[in-house]
Amino acid sequence: MGEIFRRIRYLINRRRFDAELESDMEFHREMAARAGHSNFGNTLRMREQAREAWGWTWLDRLVQDLSYAARMLARSPGFTLLAVLVLAIGIGINVAAFTVFDVVALEPLPVRDPGSLVRLERRSPNAYTDGAPYTSLLFYQRNAKTLSAVMGVMGVPPMQVDDDIQQASASFITPNYFTELGTPAALGRLLDPTRDGDAGDAPSVVLSYGFWQRRFGGDASVVGRIIHIDKKPATVIGVLPYAFASLGGQRPDLWMPILQQPYFVEGSHMLLDPGDSAVRMWGRLAPGVSAKAARPELRALTDELRRQHPKDIWDKEFISISPGGHMQVMQPEMYRVAAMVAVLALLILAVACANLGSLMLARAVTREREIGIRVAIGANRGRIFRQLCTESLLLAMLGALAGLALGSAVIKIVLTKLDAPKWASAAPDWRVLLFTVAVMLAAAIFFGLMPALQIARQRQRKTIARQILVSAQVAASCVLLIIAGLLVRATEHALYNDPGFGYQQMLSIDPHLGRHGYAPAAAQAYFEQMQARLRATPGVLSISLVKLPPLGHEVDRETTEIDGHKVLIYPNWIEPGFFHTMNIPILLGRTFYPREKNAVIVSQSFALKQWPRQNPIGQRLGDDDATKSIVVGVAGNAHINALSDDDATEQYWSAQPDDMPEMVVLARTVGALDSLPPIAKSISESLDPKISPEIRQLKVLYHDNISGIEKTAMAVSLIGIVAVLVAGIGIIGLVAFTVSQRIKEIAIRMALGAGKAQLLTAVLRQFVWPVAIGIAVGAGIAAAASRVLRTALYGVSNLDPASYIMAIFVMMAILCLAALLPARRALRLDLAKTLHYD
Amino acid sequence: MLILRVLQSGSLHGYALAQRIHVLSSEVLAVEEGLLYPTLQKMLVKGWVTAEWGTSETNRKVRFYRLTPEGRKHLKCELSEYDRVTQAIQNILRTA
Repeated sequence: MGEIFRRIRYLINRRRFDAELESDMEFHREMAARAGHSNFGNTLRMREQAREAWGWTWLDRLVQDLSYAARMLARSPGFTLLAVLVLAIGIGINVAAFTVFDVVALEPLPVRDPGSLVRLERRSPNAYTDGAPYTSLLFYQRNAKTLSAVMGVMGVPPMQVDDDIQQASASFITPNYFTELGTPAALGRLLDPTRDGDAGDAPSVVLSYGFWQRRFGGDASVVGRIIHIDKKPATVIGVLPYAFASLGGQRPDLWMPILQQPYFVEGSHMLLDPGDSAVRMWGRLAPGVSAKAARPELRALTDELRRQHPKDIWDKEFISISPGGHMQVMQPEMYRVAAMVAVLALLILAVACANLGSLMLARAVTREREIGIRVAIGANRGRIFRQLCTESLLLAMLGALAGLALGSAVIKIVLTKLDAPKWASAAPDWRVLLFTVAVMLAAAIFFGLMPALQIARQRQRKTIARQILVSAQVAASCVLLIIAGLLVRATEHALYNDPGFGYQQMLSIDPHLGRHGYAPAAAQAYFEQMQARLRATPGVLSISLVKLPPLGHEVDRETTEIDGHKVLIYPNWIEPGFFHTMNIPILLGRTFYPREKNAVIVSQSFALKQWPRQNPIGQRLGDDDATKSIVVGVAGNAHINALSDDDATEQYWSAQPDDMPEMVVLARTVGALDSLPPIAKSISESLDPKISPEIRQLKVLYHDNISGIEKTAMAVSLIGIVAVLVAGIGIIGLVAFTVSQRIKEIAIRMALGAGKAQLLTAVLRQFVWPVAIGIAVGAGIAAAASRVLRTALYGVSNLDPASYIMAIFVMMAILCLAALLPARRALRLDLAKTLHYD
Repeated sequence: MLILRVLQSGSLHGYALAQRIHVLSSEVLAVEEGLLYPTLQKMLVKGWVTAEWGTSETNRKVRFYRLTPEGRKHLKCELSEYDRVTQAIQNILRTA
């Protein structure tokens, strides 16, 4: 311990210590001279040896190396600028990608004690769902000792505020939601268990900050005002803060206590229904309890719940506990997407580094003389190697700083464009900074190591290293371009191809009868009337009912295995006229009779997979004999709830009377779509004034869905082009360099009568093989990696030849241009001058 | 080790140290400058000696090196170690 202090003291008082040593040695020499000895030695060397004992020589050398490196970089500003730019792009993109991941998954929400928040979901080996029944939530809340609190959020379709045409998004929450999160109120007060914990309390609503600004103009007097939500009066008790962080990233405009849901949604039994999994559950672990300790207790409680309500709890169901203190609760599929994005970002870094590496190799040759002199004077090869590494490190540091700035700027733009929650900031936190340092070191090693080794060992003549680097760049750029190509094709496909059902002129009308407590018979009557009156409306071609509407809020999905492959099935419950209304062809067999039991219609894709060479009609489906259904028809593929996944399959069952409260009306129209919604609304009002159906145009939903992939395609294309340009710059540099190296040889050849083609071949031949190998490797990697993208490609195969060919073509075009530009210089040589110049 | 032992009887400056060793060993051992000062520096790092300013016989300001308690402890260890090794060598030479 004391030793370290002494060493540090030396560092601070270095000059004094050195002076003291010098005086000692001088004195020693004086005395020795007086006594007649002349035992001198190399004074300087001895002083250096003495100084080494303090152990700070490495620091001295580092400072020397850094200042030398800085001078060298300053001497060639063009190279330095280019290198920093290339690095900034490579590192910046990685920093941006990681920051997004950090904000979404790593950074804890700015709420009270986020580490103990957990997300509770119902799971079983064969099923999982988003939410749980309110009755279950109460049960767990009352009995779970390992949880200090249980919160619930229920999202509902948009509700009408006063007489506005534009509806507002809304959620119902347990009264402890805001108090658990410790959210401060920007105005008034927020929901709390003491004042809003009973169903009999006065109906209250909390506004989001944005809604308060937009709808009420930021008027402070709104607190205490009574507004009407879906025609029910409620008091505004407060406003949420600007930078509000909610669990799960939801941002509704209106927040109401869940116990008052039956008041706002008249007739709803949701709070009492043990089968309606509508509420998303979060919890807070009791102090000192870990998630692992809580699991067995929750399991026991689930079993107890099954004893009380055997029909509503699945076999082997358990409550999964996952960390809830982040913006997004990570599902396994999201990790895959994140991994893919990470790989793409690293690819760009690879291109940048390979580029830089070859530039540095080229530059190394120009420093031959300097290194040669140093070696001749007696420099240690290790020392030279270390110094070159320091240069790379300095360059990497500059690049990292620029990259950090660039990445943060990009993130800032992205966050504002995506309208992200206001508490997410673009400023880098310690995790991002640590990541940047790691990437910087990786980059420095990647592009600095090989050239440094080569130079230090003075073996630059071999071009193998350069060729490998060119290959690497070409391969990485190729992968990026191919993936970009696939995404572009997918976008095209999505926009111009038939998704298997008609969406252009379709409306979905969802009255949410179940929410309003309708019994099946009443629902049946409602729909019969609604359908009859809609049919009588001019412009309506066809009406039908479906349980899970196309592009709707709810999706049901099953996974099964056929022949060892995972197959996704999207089941649905329909009325027989569904196929006609949706323009889905029946390829074999027939549609249902009304309320037909034990019959199923499968999609063509499912039939082909399950019964490859047999007639699907008459086949049986189902595990146990009680629920076996016979296939009565095969319908064309229509991925109404999985637009982008071409491998999805559908199964349809005929709607039974019990399904009626959940059904949604589908209407196919002709002519202007805008005229129908008000008519439907008035029909519904005349049937039952407390129902306000949600009316959506499928066309709009479809385009929203596609815009996602459009944006991704654009982004990846941009990145791909940038990557190719960077590779192109690298090629330009290398070819120019080769030309300048071999200028004498070229001049001689020209003088001897070589033609242009021969000269070009001579110069460019060394690049042909690396580029070819790079393209091959890139295409191979892209083919393997793009399997992951299959579910997002809207039916384009991941081996789509058009994309591959297009990508390779673009790549070769840019590379040829990059190679020919400097090579042309070789053809315009002034022979006499070149040959004379030495 | 020798330097430490010599310093045990009192603090000396560098030249005197070298002279002492030379004299006490009947001119068999001579410590050169190139060995002395680096070693003294290492001992300063390890904290076995400290350096204080004083005046030499020739009225010149010079640093005197003094043994510290840690240095004394280390000296004891080294001496006992040396004894042990010497004994072992003696045994072999006598009896082998």
